[in-house]
Amino acid sequence: MGEKVSLSEQTMKLIQPAKKLRSDHIILYLCIGYYLLMCFVAPGFFTINNSWNLLFNLLPLLIAAIGQTLVMITAGIDLSVTSVIAVASVVGGYIMSADTGLGLGPTEAILGSVLGMMLVGGLIGWLNGWAITALGMPAFMVTLTTMIFFSGFAIWLTQSQNIYNLPEAFVNMPYSSVLGIPIPALIGAVVVGVAYLLLAKTLRGAWIYAVGMNPKAAKISGVKVPQTIVLVYVFSGICAAVASVLYTARLETGSPVMGQNSLLDIIGAVVIGGTSLFGGKGKVQWTLYGVLFITLLDNSLNLMGLSYFLIMMVKGAVILLAAMLNVGKRTALQTA
Amino acid sequence: MKTDISQAGNKLLDHSTIVLFSIILITFSVLSPQFFSLQNFINVLIQASSLAIVATGMTFVLLTAGIDLSVGSIMFVAGVVSGKMVDSGTSLGVACLVVVGVGIGYGLLNAIFIYRFKVIPFIVTLATLYVGRGFGLYLSDTRAINLPENFLSIGSARLLGIPFPIIVLGVVVTVAHLVLTRTVFGRQVYAVGNHAEKARKAGLKVNRILLSVYVICGCCAAIGGLVAMAQLGAISPSFGSQSEFMAIAAAVLGGTSLFGGKGQVFPGTLIGAITIQALQSGLVIVNADPYLYPLITGSVIFLIVLIDSFRHKEQIRRRRIKKVA
Amino acid sequence: MLLELNDITKKFGEAEVLKGINLPLEAGEIRGLVGENGAGKSTTMNILGGIHPPSSGSMRLNGAVFAPQSPTDSLAAGIAFIHQELNLFPNLSILENLFLSHFPQKKILGIPVIDRQAARQQAQKLLQQVALDLNPATLVEELTPAQRQLLEIAKALSANPRIIIFDEPTTSLTSHETRKLFDLMARLKADNIAMIYISHNLQDVMHLCDHISVLRDGRLISDYNQAAGYHLPTIINDMVGRDIEQFFPDRNTAPGTETLLEVKSMHAEGVVHDISFTVKKKEILGFYGLVGAGRSEMARIIYGLDAFASGALYWKQQPISAPTPARWINKRVAFLTEDRREEGLLLAQPIGKNIALASLRRFVQSPLRWVARQPLQAAVSEQAEATKIKYHSLTTQPVATLSGGNQQKVVLAKWLMTKPELLIMDEPTKGIDINAKHEIYKLIHQLTEQGAGVLLISSEIEELLGLCDRILVMKQGRISAGFSKAEFDRSALLEAALHTEKQGSL
Repeated sequence: MGEKVSLSEQTMKLIQPAKKLRSDHIILYLCIGYYLLMCFVAPGFFTINNSWNLLFNLLPLLIAAIGQTLVMITAGIDLSVTSVIAVASVVGGYIMSADTGLGLGPTEAILGSVLGMMLVGGLIGWLNGWAITALGMPAFMVTLTTMIFFSGFAIWLTQSQNIYNLPEAFVNMPYSSVLGIPIPALIGAVVVGVAYLLLAKTLRGAWIYAVGMNPKAAKISGVKVPQTIVLVYVFSGICAAVASVLYTARLETGSPVMGQNSLLDIIGAVVIGGTSLFGGKGKVQWTLYGVLFITLLDNSLNLMGLSYFLIMMVKGAVILLAAMLNVGKRTALQTA
Repeated sequence: MKTDISQAGNKLLDHSTIVLFSIILITFSVLSPQFFSLQNFINVLIQASSLAIVATGMTFVLLTAGIDLSVGSIMFVAGVVSGKMVDSGTSLGVACLVVVGVGIGYGLLNAIFIYRFKVIPFIVTLATLYVGRGFGLYLSDTRAINLPENFLSIGSARLLGIPFPIIVLGVVVTVAHLVLTRTVFGRQVYAVGNHAEKARKAGLKVNRILLSVYVICGCCAAIGGLVAMAQLGAISPSFGSQSEFMAIAAAVLGGTSLFGGKGQVFPGTLIGAITIQALQSGLVIVNADPYLYPLITGSVIFLIVLIDSFRHKEQIRRRRIKKVA
Repeated sequence: MLLELNDITKKFGEAEVLKGINLPLEAGEIRGLVGENGAGKSTTMNILGGIHPPSSGSMRLNGAVFAPQSPTDSLAAGIAFIHQELNLFPNLSILENLFLSHFPQKKILGIPVIDRQAARQQAQKLLQQVALDLNPATLVEELTPAQRQLLEIAKALSANPRIIIFDEPTTSLTSHETRKLFDLMARLKADNIAMIYISHNLQDVMHLCDHISVLRDGRLISDYNQAAGYHLPTIINDMVGRDIEQFFPDRNTAPGTETLLEVKSMHAEGVVHDISFTVKKKEILGFYGLVGAGRSEMARIIYGLDAFASGALYWKQQPISAPTPARWINKRVAFLTEDRREEGLLLAQPIGKNIALASLRRFVQSPLRWVARQPLQAAVSEQAEATKIKYHSLTTQPVATLSGGNQQKVVLAKWLMTKPELLIMDEPTKGIDINAKHEIYKLIHQLTEQGAGVLLISSEIEELLGLCDRILVMKQGRISAGFSKAEFDRSALLEAALHTEKQGSL
């Protein structure tokens, strides 16, 4: 208990001046400071082994959170990401497992399953976007019901069994490198790059911000609002599926409950990064910092021997704090 | 002719609750004669009581166009606290009072973040959902708490031949219904939900009303938790989780709008909760694959939300025509 | 003297909207307040109603100094304000709307509950007073606009006011309902209640009011009383009269012959009826009418923002079957909406992004739909200069930090950057200062010199007279009159727009 209190006080103190600076990178500085501190405080933190751990924990979360960032910039929310992770894991596992598989060669099996997983993610995302734009349903309720439905769907498909015996090459993927860079890091870099370029450089990116900030003005200015909304949900679904590829390879199983507890981490990371819940504001790099922060917090609290439930409480409190900061920024802008 | 059809359509939209409820009753009664019996209806009502009580509190929040995702954690924390107390010899009455106190305190916490710090209800209650669950796990050491006999006896007790959960349900729904329909506060809740800014202009104390609905919601969640505990006899580490979604679904199914200002506890939310429970009980009775439950529940909730948004669109359309007419 | 306003002024930022208003009001008197939009009628009444404090000057109520801090203060002092925009909750009943903040209560077992019987009796009494024959349990969403208006008056009466301010109470009423309202006002007058009556309907004002005060540009221009008799042309002259010739830049072009937009018998139930007109190249076509006459609604339908039931649209003789903003922008038609904050701007985004938004597609390189940054930035800065926006930075300064006039120039720059051949403008100079207005007028002229047509919706007669080649007047969703430049006449325009003779019902 004592640790938790001192931590949030400490973050409070660090975050207070952040409000004044209103810097883009304040969460990053916070992460660096926290990282240095933990090197001394947390046993086994500054080791090769733990650094790999950090990276592997960070990447899938980052990829899913980037999809969520795009959705939140349009003032939406995607609660269905965890169910996409589960369904994709099951579908991918089914296609490539030696037990259930389609009897493909290892390369075709891996390729086929990865494509299949992304297709599943894209389809669920499209369903979300379609229900929101064409049927006019609130994003929260749409993605809530698709979450309930597809979580159940993954369990029903497998009758609650895990799928084992995935191809060797797939299971080894997290530990293989291309040009000296681990494959998961490459995948993460590609997703970050695509999302960054999409948001910062393309027509669609400009439209995504416009839709989130003022859908009426955007529509009158010729923005194709429904198309743009469908696009971000499809993107979010595909991102969740890519995250699922990494989780599935790491755990060496196709599991229907995969990702079940990561929803708060995903949404929390985006919010901590500073993306506005009211839409129109947000950046890929902010989310990167947010994910870094959550992962560091999680990892270090674990190493310090804090129990699962204390970590849960601390994370909840930190997210609330970040949201309050977000509101502070907003009102500061309005009064400016 | 065309207007007749659209009027009939509107009528159907306005009474979608009853229509869906009847469809579910008829379907299961046809599929299994066992379903259509007084005993089974009483069982459904008993099983639905916890959900209905939690959904009653949720209705207050939804009426103000808010949301409370933390009800499951409130149930859990309140349950763990009271379970611990009873286990260590505190009297049952005191424990029940503490449960209500925990619920009120929790609701107060939510409310303060929402109206004092202006964080949207969704994020506040999402965060307190996790904080509460963590706190409950900490108190219970992540282990299930078995409740003593006397706690369980409440669950099966009867008063004048009526099962205790049904009595609690009756009291909560009646009080909530009277508060919403007969008191100044109740009517003002509807005004705030329709348009908070207009309500402020009309001289209403909007902040106090928001505070109250989250406290009421917390209180109902705690009572709902108590009723569920008394039936289960134990509190597992996942006790109450996902009940926020079920409570929202029950309220929305009962005709409460997510956009605020529309809905009622009786008959609306009560029927909504019973419908969901009837669906689950029916699936059990017809021996449906348990893995299909979330699929069917998810689809039914999706349908309900779809109807709600159609109803909402229709209202806006009607209003627009009236405005220029 | 019941109420006295002494030398009231009001500034919003730089703009001085009231420049020393003196207004007396006796008990049992009905005083009409007339003037064009922006003359200062609403601001004066908002000060009286406690919504804004005055910048200087004082008010006296029954001889005592009166300085309300809030609407509640004014209400407590016996001043009820019936706004044009009604403050009703459609999801609640008539009774609940009447008593929302002060229900009669009784105690059952010590618990305060609504005393429905008492509330019902009081409600019925109030409804009787306004001659509204409805069950108090009826939901407000089921009421017609006229019934809602009467309910709002009943709500005002429930506080036993000594002064009632009516802001355009008849815009949504039929002639029969209007007459009922006037009967009601006569009864209130007999009860010695003073009333201030704001309306564009001069016939009504002259018929009803003991005194008429004319406001123009934040000044009280003249004061007439019924005993001495009213003269309509004098009042209209007082409302609009100002030497405006040099304020509008000279036109160097005349309308061309090529038709750009043609609208044929456009109809949308309860909104617009049988609208037909054309806009030619280099033509500025004005639309005049009262607020709610259907002008904005018409423009929104043309631009594909709202649906229409029947009629046809043609762009350069080609039929347009399903208009959408994106399609119109492709055809180089732009629409500057009335509400720039709600529909025109991305307030928190930088100025440059706002200007670029509607033209982004022209700067896209296929197939990745990359936005070509350099040319875009160059075009944006060029447009910002041409539009004379005052800014610090195009890339970092949010639009929200600009003044109203500059914000409007940003919206205009956004549309000019699309190089429009037709620009539809809905109240382009609403609420902005004289200088910005003048610059916007010059930009409109430049646009026509380049060959474009302009469809200009405005509630300011002088603006239309100074800019347009042709003016159409709308009344209750229909085009009621058309004037070519040679026929321009202020009073004729005003008369065509006013409800001189009401139709029975819509």
